[in-house]
Amino acid sequence: MQEQSEHEQEVAELIVESLNLEDISATDIEPEEPLFGDGLGLDSIDALELALAITQKYSVQLTADDANIQGVFGSLRSLSAYISEKTA
Amino acid sequence: MQRSHPITTREPDEIIAHGSSGAIRVDQFLAHAVALSKQLPDRQYVINLAADRYTFLLGFCAAVIADQCTLMPPNRQQQTLQQVANEYADCYSFGGPGLNNVESLDTCDVDAPDVIDVVVPEIPADRLCAIVFTSGSTGTPTPNRKYWETLRTGSLSNVDLLTEKTVGSMNVLATVPPQHMWGFETSILLPLFSNVAVSHLMPFFPQDISDALESLPEPRALISSPVHLDAFLSANTGRIRIDRIFSATAPMSPELAKKLEGRFDARVVEVFGSSESGIIAKRNTATETLWQLATAFELDVGEDGVRIRAAHLPERVVLQDIIEIVGDHQFRWLGRHQDMVNIAGKRGSLTDLNHRLNAIPGVIDGVIFMPDENSKRLAALVVAPDLEPSDILEKLKPGIEPAFLPRPVYKVAILPRQETGKLARKIVVQLFEETKRNKALEDAGPADNST
Repeated sequence: MQEQSEHEQEVAELIVESLNLEDISATDIEPEEPLFGDGLGLDSIDALELALAITQKYSVQLTADDANIQGVFGSLRSLSAYISEKTA
Repeated sequence: MQRSHPITTREPDEIIAHGSSGAIRVDQFLAHAVALSKQLPDRQYVINLAADRYTFLLGFCAAVIADQCTLMPPNRQQQTLQQVANEYADCYSFGGPGLNNVESLDTCDVDAPDVIDVVVPEIPADRLCAIVFTSGSTGTPTPNRKYWETLRTGSLSNVDLLTEKTVGSMNVLATVPPQHMWGFETSILLPLFSNVAVSHLMPFFPQDISDALESLPEPRALISSPVHLDAFLSANTGRIRIDRIFSATAPMSPELAKKLEGRFDARVVEVFGSSESGIIAKRNTATETLWQLATAFELDVGEDGVRIRAAHLPERVVLQDIIEIVGDHQFRWLGRHQDMVNIAGKRGSLTDLNHRLNAIPGVIDGVIFMPDENSKRLAALVVAPDLEPSDILEKLKPGIEPAFLPRPVYKVAILPRQETGKLARKIVVQLFEETKRNKALEDAGPADNST
């Protein structure tokens, strides 16, 4: 498995914590695997919960107008990069 | 003579929608829908996948005019869509991604005539206009047939129940899909029968909801669900005036209703209904506990539960809920039948889910349940020495709606069944809480691992 960067680790912990993914530990999330659908099997309720957790932790409001939001939510890596960009 | 009714009761110069390039008048819309109706593939059924609400409205009305029935699958998963398409083979898809071996009409770029002098199409009362599917947990969709008479009379009842005629036009934004009965009745049908202009957008994230509302003129209404509204409120996107917030698909707490009213200067109206019956009742959740039944409906207690009767419903509908009838056209909601769960607007049977869980090779015993009333997810306790929770989820996935996948799945040594084999809910929940606590302690684990 690919290694998570420090920031990715932090976002992975936020995902596991905010979505109660008790069977998964943050370090198990593959940085480039899909989060939704086949990967972690997350759905739209999770997307809302996760968006909210991100807003609360990083003060970032997600919007679908941001280029390719599905891409942003595509993997831990893309989500983490998105947050970094928004908070930079 | 066959009875018929016009497709809309609106005046030609009223606004029916806010599209991507501005407000759309009723006459423009009608011209567009009539033109489109002449260019549809010559088939009996259409799966309308349009995410843009105005496109959905156009596609639906064009199909009704052309005597084509719109199929509304319970979700957008490829597997579900394909299943519906296979069963209703004489169909095409409209406004969405293509399906295997299904003709598709991807755009509705039909030039609407500039000079608009459209005769409002009359629709026979007995025309089959839509089939709304309810999902159940099994993924086998159950069809509910909607004739023009049913949709029209149901809509007139909704106008009476939900809109105040003195208010004038209402500009509506919906976060729920037009293909789900709740979104269909409110954001597609209501604009045809009352002074409502609907936004073409279907925002998801709180900031998008806020922006979309901001772009609408006042008075505004938001049509949504408790899950979306809770996220919207928590995201603190700022204060914006919303006159009415309509919520359905799951019970709303009075606390959430009060907070929404405070933040948005709104009145929160919670709506009660089902895919089979349509909307039947409402209440102002912040201040009322009793539900007001629409005058078009009657409730009576039968052997099989509470039944809904109305002249415009083709069949009697049995409620999946337990209610107490209180006085004239009022009732109190007491809960769902214990077997039924409702997640993300989808209904499922616990018996069926449990049957599936226990059919997995390696699962010796198991139970899927709702930990408490406020849970968004089901949970599972499983006796399966040779399986990991992830294996169990993998095995459950293929046959059921993702929303019904239990989370978390805990392994236990034994389930505390009574001699009769029954599992008392209270004891299951206790064991669940205990297992959760132990697991949390375990995870906190060795001291050097804690942060």
